[in-house]
Amino acid sequence: MKTLTKRLTTLALALMMLMMLAGAQANEAIFGDAGWDSMKFHNAVAMLVAQEAYGLSTSEISGSTAITYNALKTGDIHVYTETWTDNIAPYPEDVSAGKVIELGVNYADNIQGLYVPRYVIEGDESRGIAPMAPDLKSVSDLKDYALIFQDPEDPRKGRIYGAISGWMIDDVMRKKVAYYGLDAMYNYMDPGSDPALAAAIVGAYEKGEPIVAYYWEPAWITGKYDLVLLEDAPYEPEAFLRGETECPSIPLTVAVNPGFYEANPEFCEFLSNYYSSSALTSQALAYISDNDASYEEAARWFLTAHDEMIDDWLAEDKAALVRAALQ
Amino acid sequence: MENWLTEFPEAFSVDIRTPIDNAIEYMVVHWSGFFDKISDGLRLVLLRVRMAVDLVPWWLLILFVFGLTLLLTRKPARALLYAGMLFFIGMIGLWHMMYATLTIIITSVIIALLLGFPLGVLVSFSNRASKLVRPLLDTMQTMPSFVYLIPAVMLLGLGNVPAVVATVIYAMPPIVRMTSHGIRHVDKEVVEAAQSFGSTRLQLPVKVLIPQAMPTIMTDVNQTIMMAISMVVTCSMIGATGLGAEVLLGINRLESGRGFAAGIALVIVAIVIDRLTQGAVREEGHSHAEA
Repeated sequence: MKTLTKRLTTLALALMMLMMLAGAQANEAIFGDAGWDSMKFHNAVAMLVAQEAYGLSTSEISGSTAITYNALKTGDIHVYTETWTDNIAPYPEDVSAGKVIELGVNYADNIQGLYVPRYVIEGDESRGIAPMAPDLKSVSDLKDYALIFQDPEDPRKGRIYGAISGWMIDDVMRKKVAYYGLDAMYNYMDPGSDPALAAAIVGAYEKGEPIVAYYWEPAWITGKYDLVLLEDAPYEPEAFLRGETECPSIPLTVAVNPGFYEANPEFCEFLSNYYSSSALTSQALAYISDNDASYEEAARWFLTAHDEMIDDWLAEDKAALVRAALQ
Repeated sequence: MENWLTEFPEAFSVDIRTPIDNAIEYMVVHWSGFFDKISDGLRLVLLRVRMAVDLVPWWLLILFVFGLTLLLTRKPARALLYAGMLFFIGMIGLWHMMYATLTIIITSVIIALLLGFPLGVLVSFSNRASKLVRPLLDTMQTMPSFVYLIPAVMLLGLGNVPAVVATVIYAMPPIVRMTSHGIRHVDKEVVEAAQSFGSTRLQLPVKVLIPQAMPTIMTDVNQTIMMAISMVVTCSMIGATGLGAEVLLGINRLESGRGFAAGIALVIVAIVIDRLTQGAVREEGHSHAEA
């Protein structure tokens, strides 16, 4: 009995070793997920291509922007498909010092700023909501409506839900609030984290309550809910940093770890060809939200619906491999 | 044909995500009046506690900690150490943030005690209640907090209010458990003696059981406070102010110094409160033994 147990254990161990050997591949691409949906979607697309066309095994590591970006430098993460360059203060230096390699721009037509739900301005008859701030168009108009956006913890003032602390845009938004003199009548609230900010907006929207919050496009929130971007002065580089103008579109780049770049030149060539747009990304995110789809399913749908992208990104032989995998 | 041996059969798949989503959405829309009331109530308590905390100037708090430590331990060196540690929080510029954090901790602990203590007493007298409550307490303690933090934000808004709710959920179980444990483990002889002297159904718990269980219960007030402190950073992710927000800012900006400074301040707060409440428990034990 005892020997049988022993033999079985040995056999099981041997089998496991075999499986591990078979499973272990020389080349792996680890993607960084800094926590928002558009990046997860682009990761899914790039991972699909990596597996099907380049035979790489792939995985994804999640974390905050700061932590995943640091991991990109140290090599624990290899690929960043959507680097919000302006929100990562050390990024330009790191690129010029060669600590990360910038391969190209994924898309550069994104928007960020202060948003309010459309019903705040126009009302919503179907939900029985009367307009609360009919003349609210621009950021400076917020002056007249502080008590509409009342801060529950400080009822004499309004509340602006700000950007996430640590993002560069947070500094700009704080300065913007001061520049327009809104700080006298509004508290600028640090939401603590991206999901908390999203939850605050969704909660207010579902209840039909007024809210003014920092957010950005493309994102599922701005795709799913009818939010209006408050107007601001036209963009100027210097003045923007002082919070005086609207936000520019940030180039969202594809960046890789230098070691990975040397080891996988072919795959990196694909990444440097990789591009999309705000509209395309929104489409994919809407697909996920409408169909309760996984990111991988969205990637497959996207590559099928936008077949032409495959030719733009990949050489003929690789493109054929991807198309075969989509069948 | 899927392989039933290696893959869990699809035939048994159940969707619990959609019903939960729908339930939360329903509550957000239809129960907003109820949650607004809770939110307003908690905000009022928070405000009062904050006012009380702000009444204490920095030197008075340090003196108080010094005096209390001296009283409890009779060791001047230790009293000086704790006072010095608190002074250090002021030196690194985090005194006000500590007050914000203390406000959340005190409010949460008070609410946890107000809810947990009666529940613990109830559970100690009824086996059925005990069977019902135990799995609930286990869930409260092990469910990852972010899971309920996000619905809490949708229902209660962002800031210190949902932070208190989350902290109470996490910090309440030990007080329920230990109150019930303490009461159940009071010496049988003591209970019999009380009964033979003719104590009524109300006198037994109020005059005998609860006082006898007090040392156990006090230990768990200490545990509840410690658990509330451990939630500080998590709660800053839903907009709670104070030391936790400072730690988070340090992490988000990759400023390790800032993170550590606030982290050290939190450690000091935890150590001082822990030693003081433990000292109080021992003191309580002594006076009992002497009596």
